[in-house]
Amino acid sequence: MTVNIACVLSLLAAQGLPVSSGPQAQQPAQAPPAASVDSTRLRTIAIDERLAEEAGLGIGDLVTVTTVAGTPGDTVGIAAITRRGADPSDISRGEFKVRLHLDHLQQLTGAGDRVGRFAVLAEDAAVPRINAMAFGFQAHRAADVAVETSTTFRVVNRFHRAIGVITIVASAIFLLCITLLKVDERRRDVGALRLLGISRRTVVWSVVLEASLVALVGSAMGALLGWGASALVNHYYQGLYSTPLRFTLVTPGIIGFAVVLSLVLGIGAGLIAAQRLVRRSPLELVGR
Amino acid sequence: MMLRLALHSLTRRRSRTALTVAGVAVAAAMLLDMVMLGSGMRESFRGFVEQQGFDLRLTPRGTMPFDTEATVGGGAALVARLRADPQIAEVAPVLGGRVFVSEPDPVAAFSIGLEPAVQADYVLEDGRDIAAGDEMVANAALLAAVGAEIGDTVRVAGGYDPQMRRVTGARQLALVGRGRFVMLAADERAVAMPLATLQSMVEPARAGAATSEPVRADRLSVILIRARDGVDIEALRTRLEREDPRLSALSTAAALEFMDERLGYFRQLAFILASVSLLVGFLLVTTLVTVSVNERIGEIAVMRAIGVARGRIVAQVMAEGLALSAVGATLGLGLGLLTARWLNGILAAFPGLPDAFDFFLFEPSSAVRSLAMLVACGVLAGIWPAWRAATLPIARTLREEAVA
Repeated sequence: MTVNIACVLSLLAAQGLPVSSGPQAQQPAQAPPAASVDSTRLRTIAIDERLAEEAGLGIGDLVTVTTVAGTPGDTVGIAAITRRGADPSDISRGEFKVRLHLDHLQQLTGAGDRVGRFAVLAEDAAVPRINAMAFGFQAHRAADVAVETSTTFRVVNRFHRAIGVITIVASAIFLLCITLLKVDERRRDVGALRLLGISRRTVVWSVVLEASLVALVGSAMGALLGWGASALVNHYYQGLYSTPLRFTLVTPGIIGFAVVLSLVLGIGAGLIAAQRLVRRSPLELVGR
Repeated sequence: MMLRLALHSLTRRRSRTALTVAGVAVAAAMLLDMVMLGSGMRESFRGFVEQQGFDLRLTPRGTMPFDTEATVGGGAALVARLRADPQIAEVAPVLGGRVFVSEPDPVAAFSIGLEPAVQADYVLEDGRDIAAGDEMVANAALLAAVGAEIGDTVRVAGGYDPQMRRVTGARQLALVGRGRFVMLAADERAVAMPLATLQSMVEPARAGAATSEPVRADRLSVILIRARDGVDIEALRTRLEREDPRLSALSTAAALEFMDERLGYFRQLAFILASVSLLVGFLLVTTLVTVSVNERIGEIAVMRAIGVARGRIVAQVMAEGLALSAVGATLGLGLGLLTARWLNGILAAFPGLPDAFDFFLFEPSSAVRSLAMLVACGVLAGIWPAWRAATLPIARTLREEAVA
């Protein structure tokens, strides 16, 4: 069992300080293979990849860990470098993570036989039973903990939705404007068609069909563009925050919503524009 | 005359012009919001940092103030050494930690141990300031949680053992004032007490079996430093870090840089959306003016034929773009302020943010600059159709228009 600790536990090498005196501290920057850490004599730790990168540490390096900066501590070997999980609560935190064996951390911190938390595989129904019988403990479902720790992301999500609403309003106006202009530009053609005996209904349907096609092609191109932008955003922010968390998701539901919305807006704009056009007399439309 | 012609041209198709103005207004609102978002967080944070009035913050090496539970030992000697430094005018040592206000049930609160004479962590709202070792100031959230009032005496403990349900290191403290803690969220329960009082409290989770020894004794979380006038802050920062390798010294500029790094996402989003808004505004005006010119191609050819100069035609078409974007930007200013309030309300729910923190900060100069950019885009949008109108082959256009 391991316990996470924050880097406040002063992994001195990570803070840019000399790693304690003595020959053990003089490790080369290139890490020897993991097998070189003799676990029978030396306690081992795991560090996260961001710490390894920023402090120039690798598997097999020896460092000193202590609970208080500037005080003597334990020399330990780095046995593993861990990758961060997709945990939203980690994103905005700047701290490094070091994992020690539980008994080692208890000994270092003087915590005796104390633990911060247990992870228990149990049915949901066990939660109230645990809370009722375990004096001094509070059991939380993993889902509840996830909700609690992702408050930041829920706020960001609400913000994105609000930005989405503004974007939809702007797009609707843009689409309506463009459709009106496009239809208006062809008023002479429509006038000629009407003079040839083409019914108002046919003219309206042809305009609506054209607007729908434009909306459909536009939304397909938009979906492609969105997919590409999403891949770029994920690539950039996953690198920036050193996390496998996916920042944007293009799901079939989202694409469906975008296509349907574009079609509705396109058809609506086409209908309005066509109705405005067919209300005028054919002669007026051709400029007579 | 030129303006009248431009206005007449725009009012000829009212619904089309109204839609374009609405589109530009939404784009302007979005642009304004994103400019406010881009600078708001930084300036808001700068306000908090500068409100404290200190130039440097000393923290345990590699940590940010109160970002972790790290502390540095030998606090008294360190503070004495800093106070003796000729370049330093004022030193405010601070220790942070969790305490439990234990009446009637233990309520956890963030506690700040400080020297009341030089503190900058809270603003007193009611009552009086701390004057003795057994006094404290609490914020409204804590007072509400424990049902206490100014003048009450409460039991405050350094630790709480949930298994044994007992508090440790408890002291009776008089509640003498209510304060607003400038760097904490309004709903975060907080108390401030003299530094020595907090240092003397036992924290059993850390101390383990040896509960008789306060683990916070002589320890500090952060030391705020005000330099004397004329001192080079960066040089002082470097020197302090060199003199004590246990410490990191953080200047206001570095704190702002750190803030920029943490909230970089919002700045990048603001930049992207602001660019998209400008592009949308540009495209809308270009489209409308181009179509408008296409419709009046015969009219323009006649004007050219009767001797109207190319420059006047160009100016008239560009005036249309200017009018559209100027009206849209003006409407967008009001719309942008409204949507900024709405969006700020959403982001205000961020956990742990100080109550007065604004994501969207209205700065008249930035607003004018951004909207001027949009208007400039509108004017630029008219260049292509204006050039096209001015360079029409007059005879051919007139013939084609007559045939049509």
